Amino acid sequence: MSLKNLLGDWSKYRKGHEEGGFHKYEHMWGLAIDLNKCIGCNACSVACYAENNLAVVGKDKMLSNQGMHWLRIERYWDEPQLGGDDRDFQERGASFLPMMCQQCNAATCEPVCPVAATYHTPDGLNAQVYNRCIGSRYCSNNCPYRLRYFNFYSYYESSWPAPLHMQLNPDLSVRDKGVMEKCTFCVQRIRTAKDTARAENRKVIDGEFNTACAQSCPTKAITFGDMLNPDSAVSKKWKAQQVELGKAEQHKANRDLRGYRVLEGLNTDPKVLYLERVREV
Amino acid sequence: MSGNEINRRDFLKFMGIGGASAAALSGCDMPTTVTLEEGKEKVAAYLVPEEYVIPGVGVWFASTCQQCGAGCGVHGRVREGRLLKVEGNPDSAINWGGLCQMGQAGLQGHYNPDRLSKPLVRKNGSLVEVSWNEAWALVEEKTSAVKGDRAAWLTGSVSGHQAALLSKLQDSVGSKNHFVYEVINNRVAEAVNEAMLGEAVPRYRFDKAKAILSFGADFLGTWVSPVHFTYEYAGFRSGDRGVLITVEPKMTLTGANSDLWVAIRPGTEGVLALGIANVLLTKHQVDGSRLPAAARDAIAQYTPDKVTEITGVAGDTVVKIATYLKQRSPSLVLSGASAHDHANGYQSAAAIMMLNVLLGNVGQTIESSGGFPVKELTAKRGSSKALADFAALADQGALDVAFIYGANPVFTAPAHMKFADKLAKVHFKVALTLFADETTAMADVVLPLASPYESWGTMVAAYQPQEMTLGMQQPLMQPLYAETRSFGDVLLALLKKRNAADYQRYDDYYAYLRNAMTQLPAGLRQGKSDAEFWDTTVQKGLLKVSTTAPALKANVPDLTQKTAAAASDFPFHLVPSARLGLWDGRHANLPWLQEAPDQVSKVYWDSWAELHPKTAAQLGVKEGDFIRIESDQGAIEAQVYVFKGVHPEVVAVPMGQGHENYGRYASKRGVNPLKIVSAVTDEKTGEIATHATRVKITKTGKSSQLPRLGGSDRQAGRRLVGTVTADVFRKTEGGSNVA
Repeated sequence: MSLKNLLGDWSKYRKGHEEGGFHKYEHMWGLAIDLNKCIGCNACSVACYAENNLAVVGKDKMLSNQGMHWLRIERYWDEPQLGGDDRDFQERGASFLPMMCQQCNAATCEPVCPVAATYHTPDGLNAQVYNRCIGSRYCSNNCPYRLRYFNFYSYYESSWPAPLHMQLNPDLSVRDKGVMEKCTFCVQRIRTAKDTARAENRKVIDGEFNTACAQSCPTKAITFGDMLNPDSAVSKKWKAQQVELGKAEQHKANRDLRGYRVLEGLNTDPKVLYLERVREV
Repeated sequence: MSGNEINRRDFLKFMGIGGASAAALSGCDMPTTVTLEEGKEKVAAYLVPEEYVIPGVGVWFASTCQQCGAGCGVHGRVREGRLLKVEGNPDSAINWGGLCQMGQAGLQGHYNPDRLSKPLVRKNGSLVEVSWNEAWALVEEKTSAVKGDRAAWLTGSVSGHQAALLSKLQDSVGSKNHFVYEVINNRVAEAVNEAMLGEAVPRYRFDKAKAILSFGADFLGTWVSPVHFTYEYAGFRSGDRGVLITVEPKMTLTGANSDLWVAIRPGTEGVLALGIANVLLTKHQVDGSRLPAAARDAIAQYTPDKVTEITGVAGDTVVKIATYLKQRSPSLVLSGASAHDHANGYQSAAAIMMLNVLLGNVGQTIESSGGFPVKELTAKRGSSKALADFAALADQGALDVAFIYGANPVFTAPAHMKFADKLAKVHFKVALTLFADETTAMADVVLPLASPYESWGTMVAAYQPQEMTLGMQQPLMQPLYAETRSFGDVLLALLKKRNAADYQRYDDYYAYLRNAMTQLPAGLRQGKSDAEFWDTTVQKGLLKVSTTAPALKANVPDLTQKTAAAASDFPFHLVPSARLGLWDGRHANLPWLQEAPDQVSKVYWDSWAELHPKTAAQLGVKEGDFIRIESDQGAIEAQVYVFKGVHPEVVAVPMGQGHENYGRYASKRGVNPLKIVSAVTDEKTGEIATHATRVKITKTGKSSQLPRLGGSDRQAGRRLVGTVTADVFRKTEGGSNVA
């Protein structure tokens, strides 16, 4: 969000993703998550802690909703789609939903940031610039998915007592008190892959790297890749499910396909495609 | 991964030459909290760069995860001499690149702030830090003269060359006292498999099954080889999509992923299995000729009505399950802890396995693995009877020396066993461990071990996938603490004293292992030279082994079922459930796993007690209220979590918490349900019947917010998790996998 955009054509900027071409994207990183395969085991979430230097805040701060889990598994007990309340027992099990930043193309978090600490990158990511963030928390307030996490405290001493600090990933920072953070789609891995590709004078190859969550997933429920590359695995999933970016409502030729985006109707244009969970009845 | 120029093979040759010290990649250990100016006197420039170290570039090395017995292959990212991240090894047929949360958190065991850095020796009643040499001298002094069976090893499951070396050590002193103890084990089913199929750990073909019926076998969570089965499960759910039915008293992670989850009265699983067989034989006209006449007679007694009376499972549900099994063939029927850990556990497991025989699954979805071809490397599988046997021996005063490794029996033993008192009768107790815990607190010498990521070793998992795998474990970094040794090195050092002729020539365990690997049968080495074989095995982190598998037998034993009588003083059943995460409590000191919510209840950093809404209403408690759960062995208190995934006569409390003395993250947190388990064992195998405890529940009046993730359990009509029926799925994606 530049000043020129802000003053020039706000509405065009705001709707740029729908009309297309307003942003010049180099890549557009996206995900597809198959809830038929996801078992809710938490492997992705802990892998994210390991990769992204997420602070362990402890029981009390977790109770105050200050946990820093960029990727959390939500668990629901009802099944509105199947219309059942499962009477005396939870006969159809649980419904698990891995939730990470949806990297919305029309992100509600971005325009409310007073200092443009969160903005849209040419990779189609919602970037968070930690040393620009002043901690207003407007972005978190405006995120319909509740996927932004604020550092109310400095966790360096409490979360990584020596020698646990030696595990910290040097490819990204440890965030300090007063800044907002969230899933970046493992931007450090994206950066490394892009740098390597540039050094080798080639394009980034689909599958040459992965986000930590997708890499760890025992069922391979998570597919990550560049949606501008029509041959990428993730593009194929979106296409097969007839879900398109830039739409608040999908008009699928085959309405039985499982692909959907969470709270799509809010027109946030998330880049995480979910494939519905399947139950026998 | 990051396209570096390092040739992995060259690097690994270098690792090979240097042995354990090869990871001597010194450099920036410290985080950048000191500016260059402030810390300039400590900054050492790379005048002579470390070979193969490119600052800022991470290199991946293969090893094998040791967080449970499944033996997943891992790749560890090493940068400037530090291990930063582990990922699944994509070449491993056990985990195919996936890794569970416990595997991810292995790093926090390695870097744990509560790791022991120096040996401890008991002086004047308390443990004090001493040098390795001093502690070792004491161990040698106290143990070398001890004869044969006066010494015992109590370990967790061990395999590979460490297991072989431990056997050699036992042979050298003429002792047979090796007790392999695991709380989370599959011993009862192994005994049944052995009797009925002729093989304790057969191979399960999830990929061939069209329906799976699990009696408490939490194969997605804590059963046998979870990451492997989870991968297989994904295939099972693709294409024509198999049906998963789970029968258990408390919803496990597997139960939470079921198409049909059925609550059952604990200890009556075998009766339900016979009831299902009854419907199959009478209603579905399944050919009963695979079963002996006695078995058919036993089955004939269990009509759906009678089954409902005993198990609490509705008659139409029994029919429904049978119908699924009939329609979706071949199927696979499994049993796990909640069915096994009863006085009648063996009977129940046998009745459950009988369903596989009746349905013709043996040979289809259950086949022989053939067994790992090198017998001395196969896993020594754990049981809980081993703990009782050890305790009995100690109690008789028959032991002068005990070595304890890979187990924390003082924490996990039920109170009725009075394990600590019995252990105290052993004159000299040596604990080999990374952490101080409840058991080391009783030891005379505590030898701090190098972490799995600092040690050489091999691992042969008890459950072997289609491609049999020997996992190679190599150090991924230099040891954090100079005064620690790997388990293999400790065993070798003991052996050198007792059998110098054979072992004196090995400088360290690395030298032993390297030589031992070249002694493997020629067939496993695929014609490679010694050096080449070693290099490729270390580089890949595993060795794939093929073997021929015989056909399984299908014997059906006596299926008479005996179920426990109701106990009016103690109206509820206690289910001490296992968690993928804290496991039996060994991972409670890993903060990532404490902060990761339980998959089903979403509770973090604490214990909880699961109750059915009806039960909660009857007791007048709601979520967050503390209840007192009392058995004939004692009482625990925990906060209530109310949901419909538990049988109304059951209170389920997870294992893992309740540590007294296990570091800053685990100690004084929650309760350990194993402590109040009644003195019941499985009649056939002698396994501790952890699920056979009857309890009464009283309100304490205390209440506070349950530490649980998330506010709403309901989607309020929004499509957060969309769900479709399998018919729709099969129409759009069935048969072939839509990309």
